[in-house]
Amino acid sequence: MKHITRRSFIKTGATAAAATIAVPAILPRGWYAFAQAEAAGYFEREFGVSEAMCRRVLARALAKGGDFADLFFEHTISNFLILEDGKVNRAACDVALGVGIRTVKGDQVGYGFTQELNEKAMLAAASTAATIAAASSKNPAREFAPLKTKNYYPVKTLFSSVPLNDKLPVVQSVNDKCFALSPLVIKVNVVFHDQQKRILVVTSDGVKAEDLQPRSYIASTVVAEKNGRRERSGWNFGGRREFSYYTPALAEKLAKMSVDRTLILFDAIQPPAGEMPVVLGPGVTGVLLHEAIGHGMEADFNRKKISTYCTMIGKKVAEPFVSIIDDGTVPHLTGSINFDDEGTPGQKTVLVDKGILTGYLHDKISARFYGVKPTGNGRRQSYQHYVIPRMRNTYMLDGEAEPEDLIKAADKGIYVQDVANGQVKIGEGDFAFYVSQGRQVENGKLGAPIKDVNIMGNGPKMLSNIIMVANDFEFHEGGAGACGKDGQAAPVGFGQPSCLVKSMTVGGVKG
Amino acid sequence: MKQELHDLAERAIKIAKSAGADDCRVTIGGERFVEISYRDRKPENIKEASTKGLRVEIFVNKRFSSQSTSDLRPESLKTFIENAVASTSLLAEDPFRTLPDPKYYQGRGTIDLKQYDPDYEKVTPESRHSFVKAIEESCLARGGDKVISVTAGCYDSHSEQLLMTSNGFDGYEEASVFYGGAEMTAKDEGDRRPAEYSVAVALSRKALPRPEDIGADAAARALSLLGAKKVKTETLPIIIENRVVARFGSGFVQAMFGRSIQQKQSFLADKKGQKVASNVLTLVDDPFIPGALGSRTFDGEGIAAKKRVMIEAGVLNDFYVDWYYSRKLGWEPTTGSPSNLIIPPGKRSVKEIMKDLGRGIFITGFIGGNSNSTTGDTSIGITGQLFEKGEPVHPVSEMNIADNHLKIWQRLAEAANDPYAFSQQRFPSLVFTDVVVSGI
Repeated sequence: MKHITRRSFIKTGATAAAATIAVPAILPRGWYAFAQAEAAGYFEREFGVSEAMCRRVLARALAKGGDFADLFFEHTISNFLILEDGKVNRAACDVALGVGIRTVKGDQVGYGFTQELNEKAMLAAASTAATIAAASSKNPAREFAPLKTKNYYPVKTLFSSVPLNDKLPVVQSVNDKCFALSPLVIKVNVVFHDQQKRILVVTSDGVKAEDLQPRSYIASTVVAEKNGRRERSGWNFGGRREFSYYTPALAEKLAKMSVDRTLILFDAIQPPAGEMPVVLGPGVTGVLLHEAIGHGMEADFNRKKISTYCTMIGKKVAEPFVSIIDDGTVPHLTGSINFDDEGTPGQKTVLVDKGILTGYLHDKISARFYGVKPTGNGRRQSYQHYVIPRMRNTYMLDGEAEPEDLIKAADKGIYVQDVANGQVKIGEGDFAFYVSQGRQVENGKLGAPIKDVNIMGNGPKMLSNIIMVANDFEFHEGGAGACGKDGQAAPVGFGQPSCLVKSMTVGGVKG
Repeated sequence: MKQELHDLAERAIKIAKSAGADDCRVTIGGERFVEISYRDRKPENIKEASTKGLRVEIFVNKRFSSQSTSDLRPESLKTFIENAVASTSLLAEDPFRTLPDPKYYQGRGTIDLKQYDPDYEKVTPESRHSFVKAIEESCLARGGDKVISVTAGCYDSHSEQLLMTSNGFDGYEEASVFYGGAEMTAKDEGDRRPAEYSVAVALSRKALPRPEDIGADAAARALSLLGAKKVKTETLPIIIENRVVARFGSGFVQAMFGRSIQQKQSFLADKKGQKVASNVLTLVDDPFIPGALGSRTFDGEGIAAKKRVMIEAGVLNDFYVDWYYSRKLGWEPTTGSPSNLIIPPGKRSVKEIMKDLGRGIFITGFIGGNSNSTTGDTSIGITGQLFEKGEPVHPVSEMNIADNHLKIWQRLAEAANDPYAFSQQRFPSLVFTDVVVSGI
């Protein structure tokens, strides 16, 4: 069912399958230099999409005026291998093919799409998009220059050329290792997902950008039973990775983490409820940044003045040791993009610089509104969706404290190791996330494991409450996470050093 | 288009069988939709398109896979299905994977479920725009000087779906859907800008409320959140508003699926015939309500739909068991997915109930959170109103509830008289006692 509400949420973790700092550089030979898997011109070769045809369709999209128009061609092949009850006995494949056509006038968008890549169907969709404007026609650029960017996920071997018989043993081995690790394990599920997404963006101002975006993950879920009680947990690894990433050592690590994380839950308790200091461990807890500040910095929310951050640019929002980045250029991370879905090169955008709120995450529409350059955050789920500002990989830079000093300083509270199901209310800044693994902190030391606890906070309040940041930065190497906004899912990444938040509301039992 | 879908399904089955499949099931869906939103009294987005997709589930030599595509060009479809059959053969054998016994296809209901509004074709671009404008205007008017932003929108679609199996099932459904909604962001103290929405979804245009009511409701909801704060952690009665009961209840329903049970991920697996909730909870799965969003005569596997009492006065009667997990569990299949879910409404309004409860929280929204289907443990963020003696005191934010589904439903004290119409889950507002609500 459709919803126009702006509820934004994120799902991470093993069961979610149903979210290096480098400045982008220009390669001398551009995109073609790294497209080793195949030559450029995929859509022309496979589907007969010529530049002349694109120009005619763009002319139709601008038949009633408008500031600009663009075409987004997509051909995505997604595969799933599923292990249940000891065997890889289910597979699923999905092929998505289509083109989305957008006409933009100010902050207004007309959008049509078609799954048939012939000129007649594309012209019809362009006519739909054109209805947003009501002036005299405009001409698109005469020629389209290929966009040249760096490649943050070069593909040597396409997933479609990896034989099924090579993938199956990887999936099977995770299952076998999980069972070998503990007699308490009673069920194991493993999912291996790979996707190759080919996109071509053609804009009325004369840019043509073509990309091959790989995405894959392996996720396992373990159920264990002890004295009649059952617990479930899991883990996943992935990103914009090739098949060679999935080594026996990785399978071993995945099995061990999945089993360990399940068994510890037999000793876990729900902590007392209320406000308390919270230490966030490194890595996946970056979900907190995604919710507490990331969404609120997406420029569409600010342009409409519906984000709690819309009046805070240039102001101090955190201590000087807090710097937060959104970055499309981290090699192989889930949220990395060579260019965004409207043809702006992938880049690194600073949200908070030493405690000062510096800039928003823009697509072309919001960049024009604010009179700045787009930041490469214009993303969409597929050709069926129009572009909106979205995060890529969001993370906090390292601090100087030692991780154990944070726990000591917290004295009494909780330590959050793994989180899932984050959600934020943009206007209030209130956010929540779910602690799937963690520990109590008592007398400045890690205590009993905790589980099944939701934490709530307020973005600006939480940022100003970060009182220590440690030097143990990690990127979350998972691939199964996706962020949802306005009904569109997008792959995103996270990273974080350990940090100490003075106080947040923990939803536990009555203490 | 029915014949076109039919021909395509027959062709897909033929290709799969010639490529070596023992059996297959084909689902084809097609949809035409229009979506419009307004902001600042002008169109913000206009979107319109047609989609079509085909899914083929392949059974070959006791092996199984599911394949879907939107690339329906004859040659690519042929290659796609042939490759699918070949790669399915490489998977591990699974003797439980077959099409359902055709006897379960029998006895399909013949009642007119009124899923398609014959007036759908009469909807014009102008009527859509005036509908959305009316929502926006009433929201702006009701929101007054507190309005920061209002977005209003509508969506309608005409969809068709065809399900065909190689062992004799052939079913077709046609539906229309209409949606109207608005979201308002309001000025509050400091940097808080609370936002709330109102939505209505129905299968016929006439079943939607007046656009003015949708807009006014969105504004009233946004205004009701002004001045929210958290209160101290305490044990209180809560009322969960009808439109958000489904989100909380999904944690319970999730444990009723055959897969959860067979995979030992269900806290309800061994509870059939036992009391899992208070007497107040009866849960009926009713696929035969004319004009309801979840009505159907067959499910996704072709199994004939039946009305089922899943929970009766707190006693767990039934599970959602599809064909595959029924074979794995050695049980009778029911259906793999809920249709319309009904909790019978009570007699009193939320307002009347509040008067009797003393101090409590009326929960109007959830945020974040999770529910563990293996253990039943749940913890979730809430927004809503603190009330005392039937009167709202102030809105609450940044608060949580934590409980276990096997315990909290035993404390279900009352259902209000307000079943929610705009969802497959037609739940009334529900009252639970003694819930730990955490704040300061």
